[in-house]
Amino acid sequence: MLEIEGVDAFYGDLQALWGISLHVDEGELVALIGPNGAGKTTTLHVISGLLPPSSGNVRFRGRDLTRERPDKIVAMGISQVPEGGRVFTGMTVLENLELGAFIPGARRHKEESLKRVFSIFPRLAERKNQRAGTLSGGERQMLAIARALMSKPTLLLLDEPSFGLAPLLVEQIFAMITEINAQGVTVLLVEQNVRAALELSHRAYVVENGRIVGEGSGTGLLSFESVRRAYLG
Amino acid sequence: MSKKAVALVALLVTLGLLAAFPLLVAAKSIVNLGCLVLLYIALASSWNILGGYTGQTNLGHAAFFGLGTLATRLLWLSGRPLWLSLLGGGSLAVVFALLIGIPAFRLRGAYFAIGTLALAQILYVTVGNVFPMLSALPSQVLANYQLLPRYYLFLGVAALTVTASYLLANSRLGLGMMAVREEEDAAESLGVSALKHKLVALSASAFLAGLAGGAFAYYHVGYYPQLPFSPVWTFDAVMMAYVGGTGTIVGPIVGGAFYVIVKEYLALKLVELHLIVFGILFILVVLFLPGGFVEAWAHLRKALARRAAQRQASLDSGERRAGPYQPGH
Amino acid sequence: MLVPLAQNVVSGILVGALYGLAAVGLSLTFGVTKFLNVAHGELLMFGGYASFWAFTLLGVDPFLTLPTTLVFLGLMGVLLYKLLFSRMVKATEDVKVKNTMLIGFGLSLILQNVALRLWTANDRAITTSYSGMALTVFGVRLPVVRLANLVIALVCLVALHLFLQRTCTGKAIRATVEDWAAATLAGIDIDKVYLESFVLGAMLAGVAGALVGVGYSIVPTMGLEWTLIALIVMVLGGLGNIMGTFVGGIILGVTQSVTSYFAGGAYREVVGLLIFLLVLVFRPQGLFGTKQG
Repeated sequence: MLEIEGVDAFYGDLQALWGISLHVDEGELVALIGPNGAGKTTTLHVISGLLPPSSGNVRFRGRDLTRERPDKIVAMGISQVPEGGRVFTGMTVLENLELGAFIPGARRHKEESLKRVFSIFPRLAERKNQRAGTLSGGERQMLAIARALMSKPTLLLLDEPSFGLAPLLVEQIFAMITEINAQGVTVLLVEQNVRAALELSHRAYVVENGRIVGEGSGTGLLSFESVRRAYLG
Repeated sequence: MSKKAVALVALLVTLGLLAAFPLLVAAKSIVNLGCLVLLYIALASSWNILGGYTGQTNLGHAAFFGLGTLATRLLWLSGRPLWLSLLGGGSLAVVFALLIGIPAFRLRGAYFAIGTLALAQILYVTVGNVFPMLSALPSQVLANYQLLPRYYLFLGVAALTVTASYLLANSRLGLGMMAVREEEDAAESLGVSALKHKLVALSASAFLAGLAGGAFAYYHVGYYPQLPFSPVWTFDAVMMAYVGGTGTIVGPIVGGAFYVIVKEYLALKLVELHLIVFGILFILVVLFLPGGFVEAWAHLRKALARRAAQRQASLDSGERRAGPYQPGH
Repeated sequence: MLVPLAQNVVSGILVGALYGLAAVGLSLTFGVTKFLNVAHGELLMFGGYASFWAFTLLGVDPFLTLPTTLVFLGLMGVLLYKLLFSRMVKATEDVKVKNTMLIGFGLSLILQNVALRLWTANDRAITTSYSGMALTVFGVRLPVVRLANLVIALVCLVALHLFLQRTCTGKAIRATVEDWAAATLAGIDIDKVYLESFVLGAMLAGVAGALVGVGYSIVPTMGLEWTLIALIVMVLGGLGNIMGTFVGGIILGVTQSVTSYFAGGAYREVVGLLIFLLVLVFRPQGLFGTKQG
């Protein structure tokens, strides 16, 4: 479904990605794991169009979306929950969700999507007219995921959804992500929480220093020093 | 000959020509045109020190120019020698610059630009109210009025401004100024005091603009004291510097000369059209050619050099192919 | 003593409403796009002339031609955006602000001189049959036309507020101001939002200009003065704060009037500029804005 081949990416003169190649098949839940600053977020930025790669390409369902605008990529069915969620704090929960359904394809099904999203995240339904800035960290993260779902994505990208959240909330968030995947949305997940990432995902890629250094599933990846350290640490 | 020697010779020859120019030309109107060109060169070059080399877009340059005219006119018409009056003009401009410099430099980028514009506007309105009467030359001064010394004064001020720019740009201070322009924060972390370099540039810019103002005050027979404070002088200087090429020595000179030529040429057809033309050129430079004419010229030279090199390369390989005739081959 | 002072305060409020309207347009554009279009005053001037010529040539009441002035300025805005400003979308913030300021300043020279060629340097005013009418309340004279201006300015602001709060486009604009990256990830076309904000700003300038034309007078060289006013009030009111900006306009208007009353009209412009400088240096978030990181 998603194929990335030989992607190099730069921030100015600084090279962040070196020949990244990976694929995500329909229905899978794939994880990108690796230490801080390895390039996992950068990879998601490239997929979503926030950072054009200097070489290589990104193909989604056969279509080349390498240098497309971010909003066009959303319209093609890829939605990202950025690091920290980044909800619009000055707007209400409902307004945030409505904005998630901004693209014409999603706007038509807004009511339906709202129902679906409220069933996955009942707490958001309770707070729907509250300003997003008044929500707790966990609720904001849920809102961010819900907002991304409003665009009816076939591929959902998640950047560190558990970051900074209490363990109980982390479990809840991961349960929801599993549920979303079970409902048919393909997921590419960037996670620092290696344990959870390996438990949740069908497959995982290990990213280090801007390169993919390994691929596998579950405990098969424990041979990697960084993975083992994170897993046991 | 070394590059510096060539530049020096070129400069001396140019100065010589410019000095001889009014003696060879009979028409007063052309000499007046020459005065205007030199004035604009001085204004654009002095602006360029702070605006081009140090990257601080000062939209209040007219204030320095105006203060120069004010002090010089006052001192000169009250009997002081010319050199003292000119010095007074430059000094008043510098004093004002230093007074407003430190608070003004708390603003960065466009906010600094707008702040200086507002400041100059305050001076413009205030001077218009405090000195509403036309400043005219008293009859004996008028009787002794000669154009030639005024031309040479403009030439001197323009030459001084360009020379000062050159010396500053090639000094350690100049390096610091350019560092401030490129990456102010990075420069600070390397120990380059941004504020100090900005103030130095501001002072030099103000002093030289003040001298230009002094020359203006010595030159004009009658004008409203408010006129030199008008933002039009700033805008003209900025456009000339940009179109010619900011941050270069030659840029403001080319920009100034070009501006006057276009103005005179278009004035024959439609008055004030030159402003529309220059406005368009200015926008084109900002959008597509930030280095102005200087950059365009550099591109042209590179393209010509590349063309010449290609021609040379094809000639060489052709010769190898063609080789001397060998019987039987 | 009280009545002339009250008269001044009222005059200040009436003109201040237009200051606020002019500033809101610039604030909206700048807040969203970070384009510092210093030709804003010239757009206002063109709005005034659009209204003036519709009245002079076709005899249509200036208040009735407001919608057409809106459309005319809207088209101008689209043209100027696509031709000039749109190339600055991808730049970093400092470069954006500085370069668009320079472009705006070149544009202001062009527009000003085009207007001078077309319409001469004479002051123009739109004088309708009711232009001389005024209400008198407690000895204070309230010209009907200027009162109407105040009402229309308020209507525009309320309409703008509702637009930003209730419509899809308005919400997209607010989202872009808050976090453009998150907005684009939600599928919002940032280029379109930029265009919409720029055009809205131009339209608001046009309406303000039309109102200035009927309540006061217009002249091709008025651009710089009004751009400075819009900048002053924008900084006073704080970015993104519509109500604050409007109140800032009133404050400027009243301060100018009262200063004229005590110190004479010659320094009218100066007091505003001084306030501007003080606010810029000491309280850049404005009187009503919030400090932004």
